[in-house]
Amino acid sequence: MIAERQAIQFCGFGGQGVILAALIFGSTAVTKQGYHAVQTQSFGSETRGGECQAELILSKEPIFSPTADKVDILVAMSDLAFSRYVGRLKSGGILIMDPDMVTRPSRNDLKIYEIKANHIGKELGFALSSNMVFLGALHRFCGILSDQQLFDGIRENVAERYAEVNIKAAQAGIDTMSGLLK
Amino acid sequence: MLLRRPRVLSGTHFMLGNFAAVEGALAAGCNFFAGYPITPANEVSERMAERMPEVGGKFLQGEDELCSIYALAGAALAGAKVLTATASAGFDYMAEGIEYAISDEIPMVIMDVQRTRGENFATQADVMQMRWGAAGDHELIVLAPSSVQELFDFTIRAFNLAEKYRNPVIVMSETTIALMRERLVIPPADQIKIINRKMTQAQPGDYVPFRAEMGCVPDMAPLGKGYNTLYSINPHNEFGSIKWEPEIFERQYERITQKILMNLDDIVTTDEYQTEDAELILIAYGSETRPCKDAVDVARGQGKKVGLLKLNTVWPVPEKQILAAARKANKILAVEMNMGKYAGEIERVAGCHAEVKRVTKNLGAIHTSGEIVAAIEESLR
Repeated sequence: MIAERQAIQFCGFGGQGVILAALIFGSTAVTKQGYHAVQTQSFGSETRGGECQAELILSKEPIFSPTADKVDILVAMSDLAFSRYVGRLKSGGILIMDPDMVTRPSRNDLKIYEIKANHIGKELGFALSSNMVFLGALHRFCGILSDQQLFDGIRENVAERYAEVNIKAAQAGIDTMSGLLK
Repeated sequence: MLLRRPRVLSGTHFMLGNFAAVEGALAAGCNFFAGYPITPANEVSERMAERMPEVGGKFLQGEDELCSIYALAGAALAGAKVLTATASAGFDYMAEGIEYAISDEIPMVIMDVQRTRGENFATQADVMQMRWGAAGDHELIVLAPSSVQELFDFTIRAFNLAEKYRNPVIVMSETTIALMRERLVIPPADQIKIINRKMTQAQPGDYVPFRAEMGCVPDMAPLGKGYNTLYSINPHNEFGSIKWEPEIFERQYERITQKILMNLDDIVTTDEYQTEDAELILIAYGSETRPCKDAVDVARGQGKKVGLLKLNTVWPVPEKQILAAARKANKILAVEMNMGKYAGEIERVAGCHAEVKRVTKNLGAIHTSGEIVAAIEESLR
């Protein structure tokens, strides 16, 4: 399980569900596990395609400064955003990335987990669910929620007709990360 | 399909700041909203449009800010508890309506989500505009929340103060907190303290709309029930008649400013953090109090006697509390996210008793705790 306070950044391009992934993880940690959480974001004015990032600080204690100087975990969904934010990842930090979308960084001080989220999403017949694959993988890595809590969190935050496919995607992310953690 | 959520959404949430402000307004009894779109305040309108029909209230998108602020005045006089939301440039246009509401003692709450000029980055550059935007002698109450929880709590308080003092109250929001999601705990409805305006017991013929003792608030009468009050921005006497009588004008404006100034202990609130033995005290408001709090912890860890005075009410100025801080500490750091504005007020109040230094940042982003720690170290060198 992760330390008591973690700063997690999600980055990608608009339309990938970068902010939704951060929102669901924060919301579930707050409403189902009693965590404190602060989530901030920035995005381009384009609806799709612009750079997008969301930052989530989770803590057992109240959180004052709303953004962290360095992040502990970076979830990278696209190359452009990744090259911009990789510098914020602390030495010894965790990088969760899609090798089909992001070039493996030259930094050798990181712990890297490769999740083929896009590929997995497409195989499930719903490419847009790649953010949920990442979410499942992140959740499995952090270990602060039960799988059921995460699935309930997803159900509460996505349209009813997309709940099942998103939960399937999250399960695939959990399974992939489990394999990597073995 | 229309959702039918209750007026008070009691429970633990992970909510956007702008949404939390709406929930605070609804919990306080708000039943009329009018506004004109502007980022970063749009989520207030968006959620109000959704929530007002659920609780039996009215939502109006005005054709501009002037329409919105005067719609607020009309609805408030008709008995509604009213809110608008705007941002910096939109507040410019509302100034006239706020002047009207002050002079006719109309309770209303204005949510101003400050943004950098023409963009949506974080700033506190309008802390003076909110106080002084309206013409004429007046007092305004401006509250400065620093978190999603305080956006909820302070909005309730803003309604209570507006109702109690028949005056516009401004919630000074910021991009930082308005577009942030955070843990929000909404208490059970019966634990939320609500104050409503005092309505007159007098019959229509006997009612004198603007008569009250110095420092006091006249009772209101319902509009359209035979009380025939004229609500004019022009100078008016106790009966509401437009008349230029210098002594009456002077007394009227004396009373509507004194109703605020004679009740500072009820209106002004601050929080103190580690100030008891502090030799250096940070004074900040809104989101800037957050990195300050972290910086106090860091400085204390280094054995430095540092504390924080957090201003929850920025107008009227918490003079008593700032003065007490200045008497306690040798040094004051006035921290804000602009070129240095409210620092002038802190210097005015504290300058005779302590050295006041300005710590400002005008880059469209909140101070980091590291920047505040550096300012503390510099000051104590």
